[in-house]
Amino acid sequence: MRLGETAQLQASINITPLVDVVLVLLIIFMVMAPQMSKGPDVELPNTKKPGDQGDERGKILVTIDGSGGLWINDQPVTAARFGEGLHAAVGDEPDPRVVIRGDARIHFREVRQAMLAIEQAGFHGVGLIAKSAGAETKGD
Amino acid sequence: MQFDGSGSKLQSEINITPLVDVVLVLLIIFMVVVPLLLKGYDADTPRLSAEAVPPVQTPELQVVLSIAPATCRILDQPAGDGLPTDCRVTLNEQEIPATDLPARVAQILGGRPADRRVLFLAADDRLNYEGVLRVVDLAKSRVDGLQIEFLTTD
Repeated sequence: MRLGETAQLQASINITPLVDVVLVLLIIFMVMAPQMSKGPDVELPNTKKPGDQGDERGKILVTIDGSGGLWINDQPVTAARFGEGLHAAVGDEPDPRVVIRGDARIHFREVRQAMLAIEQAGFHGVGLIAKSAGAETKGD
Repeated sequence: MQFDGSGSKLQSEINITPLVDVVLVLLIIFMVVVPLLLKGYDADTPRLSAEAVPPVQTPELQVVLSIAPATCRILDQPAGDGLPTDCRVTLNEQEIPATDLPARVAQILGGRPADRRVLFLAADDRLNYEGVLRVVDLAKSRVDGLQIEFLTTD
């Protein structure tokens, strides 16, 4: 090796550690992200091909937990104050859509009653949130 | 520019900067999008209010799918990915195995214009919610844009 050449070889920044760090960050976010959703943790129903329901923004998340308890976004509500809670959750959202995150263990009665209460509160149509079979998505 | 041997030496490394750019953009996309994505099924309920009447459908055009615990025992969470193999559902008052459901729904509703593809679902209260959603998944699997109307009143 000649002495003159070493300075030339070090002229560019070694970018490999940066790429490593960024890739690790990417993996951390991919793993953590599904656990950052609103509302209590529920075991979402597993189905083959659930359709796209968009993201959580502008939506009112109604959660029915494993024991049939109702939640609106992060707050538990009683059945009697459910309609009131829905209206309070609208805020200044121009076109709110209600989605139901129902636990896989509950019976259809709880979901039906929630859908009826949502309709009675003046919201038309809901999304029933599921996860595709085998995939580890939100709500676990 | 040099035309001797040293020119090829300068090009011997891959230019990694565009790769880093792409990875950083991917990272930002994942940070923003992934926590907010939801998957599921659109479920409509027949309107209760008088001012918003759904498009009138003559009774013979209405397609009703009923699931009863007597023919499809999904009172508890179904095991595995599918439905019990002996599960039977009632489509337009005709009892069929649940495995035939995609084909039958496609046959009845597939030929209709997109806004008329409506399936009314009457599921028993005692059924497990996950089981009901799996039936919905089967019914929707072969028809694009199938609208499901959940009958919610007692």
